Amino acid sequence: VSALDLSLRGQAAGISAGEIEPEELLEAALARIEERNPAINAVVATFPERSREMLEAAPEGPLQGVPVVIKDEWPLPWRAQRFGAAEMLAPTAPGESGPYRALRDAGAVIVGVGNMHELGSGSTGNVSVYGPAGNPWDPERCPGGSSSGPAAAVAARLVAGAVGADGIGSIRFPAAYCGLTGLKPTFARAAMEGHHMAKVSTTIVSGPLCADAADARLLGSVLCGEEMAATEPRGLRIGVVRDRVSEDVAPSVRAACEEAIGALAAETGGEVVEIELADLGPAALATVLIANVEGLGGVTPSRLNSLDPELSPLGRGLLKYRMLLPAAATVKAAVVRTLMRRRVAAAFDEVDLIAWPTVPAVAPPLQAPLVELPSGTLTADQANVRGAGLANLTGIPAISVPVGLSEGLPIGLQLQAAWGRDELLLDAAEALERANGRRWVDSLPPLAAETTEA
Amino acid sequence: MEASNRAEDFIPAGLASFGIEADEIELAVIGAAHAMFWPAILELLDLDAGDAVPEPRADLSLPPAAPR
Repeated sequence: VSALDLSLRGQAAGISAGEIEPEELLEAALARIEERNPAINAVVATFPERSREMLEAAPEGPLQGVPVVIKDEWPLPWRAQRFGAAEMLAPTAPGESGPYRALRDAGAVIVGVGNMHELGSGSTGNVSVYGPAGNPWDPERCPGGSSSGPAAAVAARLVAGAVGADGIGSIRFPAAYCGLTGLKPTFARAAMEGHHMAKVSTTIVSGPLCADAADARLLGSVLCGEEMAATEPRGLRIGVVRDRVSEDVAPSVRAACEEAIGALAAETGGEVVEIELADLGPAALATVLIANVEGLGGVTPSRLNSLDPELSPLGRGLLKYRMLLPAAATVKAAVVRTLMRRRVAAAFDEVDLIAWPTVPAVAPPLQAPLVELPSGTLTADQANVRGAGLANLTGIPAISVPVGLSEGLPIGLQLQAAWGRDELLLDAAEALERANGRRWVDSLPPLAAETTEA
Repeated sequence: MEASNRAEDFIPAGLASFGIEADEIELAVIGAAHAMFWPAILELLDLDAGDAVPEPRADLSLPPAAPR
């Protein structure tokens, strides 16, 4: 077995103990990207000499010598981000972003840049200036977005950890579609410096995508700049809601998530509690409105009239549509944010976690990202935003954990906790892994399993 | 007067008032987005939010300071 197939923490421990040569690990990662990436287009740029320089200069740290991928949302000293697009409305330039510094100072080696949904504006990953990314479980399926490449890279075991960003579910969607553990930290907890929206966004945060919770804890600690300590969770009160986020869901997804919620409660000696959390629909729309208008400060009509024709028609149309969003609705969105923050705070007086499916159906086809739900056929974006926006709107942390397979594709459960209780989410995710015997976090997609065995 | 989600009214007028040009494909995308968002926007505007007002300088890393 290649050291590349070890966990992130296993690679770090092996290097620290002198059992793994980091130079060999880096070259193996580059070789594996060459071997597996053509099927999934997860990594859109490599820079072997820069990676070797990072390794040579890597300080002692929790990720010393460990290769990782970073989303195309962050500038690097030698490369400006492209945000998955032919052009961005915001100016960009190479530089030291917060996640870059955090990784560098932890000793990590950035081995590649991960693909992403164009302009971060989709939950599927099927639109990008680099071409769509594929899902390692089935390359004809969506890997999820907008952190499509980081997720696909980890699922295909090109690397054991990747950095994404989550403005409306953009870490959790691809984690669910690719069978990974993806953490959206509490707002402002993880490194954001250098992001083109860092000074205006009230929804986006960086976070880890890894195979399991312990690895997400390790990479999350690096991004947050502090140890996210583990504790044994006891007597967890898990809140569930009667709402379309938990009920207008594909039957296989609903069954797997309900089973996992029950198993987590049993594992921790806790209970499942039905709670009230009204107006999740308006809350999701409020998140979309806020996230879409926050970047408009520097946009002018004439700028929109000179968009790069290489930008997708979808991207061009959506950028222009943002200008038509009524101001009254964006103000109302801010009111709904207050309302939902109050309601969520009240809910966390009653429960420790709030749980529902991360996405209501498994990964749809790249060519037609539609999902079949009990209520009918929806675009994946329409369906996915329902359950993801609340965490971005209110600022609370959320995590997606794998809890099953349907049609050979992963199912994700979302757990949400109160502000600053990111560690509880990781503790709960680890408890769930124990409860199901690590069955789902250790499952490998065909792309990884076939070539690893060969 | 009933609310209208008719893209043929709203979109060309809105774009024209900003001086924003759009080709046929972009108009189709905008129309689809409008058809998806507008009913929800109307629902949002109609929501009774009680005494809630936007939090001034909200610290989103913390719970709200206002009463629950």
